[in-house]
Amino acid sequence: MPKPPKNIEIFKAGLWKDNPVLRQILGICSTLAVTNLMVNTLVMNAGLIFTLSMSSLTVSLLRTYTPLRIRMMVQTLIIASYVIIVDIVIKAYLPSISEALGPYVGLIITNCIIMGRCEAFARNNPPLASFLDGIAVAIGYALVLMAIALVREPLGFGTLLGFRIMPDGFTPWTVMIMAPGAFFMLGLYVWIIRAFFPQTQEIQNQVK
Amino acid sequence: MKKRLFSIAYMFFITLCFTAVVSGVKVLNDERIENNQKAKLQRIILSVLQIPGSNDPSDDKVNQLFETRIKSIQVEGTTLYLGYAEDAKTILGYAFPIGGPGFWGPISGMVGVDSEASKLLGIAFYKHSETPGLGGRITEDWFKDQFKGLPIFPIEAGKKIFYLKPEGTGEAPNELDAITGATGTSRSVEGFLNSELDRYLRTVWKSLKKG
Repeated sequence: MPKPPKNIEIFKAGLWKDNPVLRQILGICSTLAVTNLMVNTLVMNAGLIFTLSMSSLTVSLLRTYTPLRIRMMVQTLIIASYVIIVDIVIKAYLPSISEALGPYVGLIITNCIIMGRCEAFARNNPPLASFLDGIAVAIGYALVLMAIALVREPLGFGTLLGFRIMPDGFTPWTVMIMAPGAFFMLGLYVWIIRAFFPQTQEIQNQVK
Repeated sequence: MKKRLFSIAYMFFITLCFTAVVSGVKVLNDERIENNQKAKLQRIILSVLQIPGSNDPSDDKVNQLFETRIKSIQVEGTTLYLGYAEDAKTILGYAFPIGGPGFWGPISGMVGVDSEASKLLGIAFYKHSETPGLGGRITEDWFKDQFKGLPIFPIEAGKKIFYLKPEGTGEAPNELDAITGATGTSRSVEGFLNSELDRYLRTVWKSLKKG
């Protein structure tokens, strides 16, 4: 078994080098769906950080016992359990946000990032490293979502976290509230990041 | 063979463990979730009947107010909520659930009608999946407030109780502002609200008056 990477490397990879949204273009549906209000984004982020870190930890703890051929089923079961727990807790303690997020909390189950990390990392690494990897990647996801919401909410509603920040005469950009607004922002960020901070492979692609 | 059996037993055992944990969390929070939903419904019913105090942040206070001022009865398969004045005798009006297909998914709401069934007291929506900031604006005060005091009557020959027109173009008192950028949602609200009010006047109200 290869030696697990150092903790600092795990965080560097999750936040920047292998950022799930900007570099791997994973978890896009939820990125598009929940970023029109900062509050929704924050709750979604908290849900994903919890689910991803706990799923990675659990998958890693069970990694030596789980038969290879049924590992996907086991992973899905683990992820789904945590997601349902998150959904129940949000419904119980934050009912209004639960409504605003609608089906998207439940859809964390299908967030490719989680299954991706379980398969790519947690399955082959010890529990602590997997747990940290889960947190790092989830924070990498969270930061991008917040960066998008930071533009969409002020331009689309004229507010940030519900407080009015735009001048009175400001006309909200309706397009920013809808999915196209998220596509524009996401595309813009991906372009900036890839153009100005390319990774080795991306540089090679450009040379070709 | 042994390996396969182990896989099956393993999956079975793991499923059992996780389902147990999830069920536990659910049972622990069930009461709280139910209370949240109950309080929300109570707030909505109080608000469409224009009974002050529906915005009180304490769920217990809202529940108390609801218990003293609202009574529910079943008429013609519709749940009617009777709103009483503070003397607990005079009926202020009736609230009943409304709903229909929205642009993205079903919309559920509540509407309050005065004791003579002559005008609307208020409306509110408690469940919808319309686009936030567009169709989702049906829950905003400016939209709901337009319906206060709207005269209602059984619909005859193609005439509607109210129409939703592009913002600012309504001339008659029953031409209300639609939501800009949410034509689909506006149209469906206009559709189901008109037909549900009509149904209330024709069946529920009639059988209620007969006693």
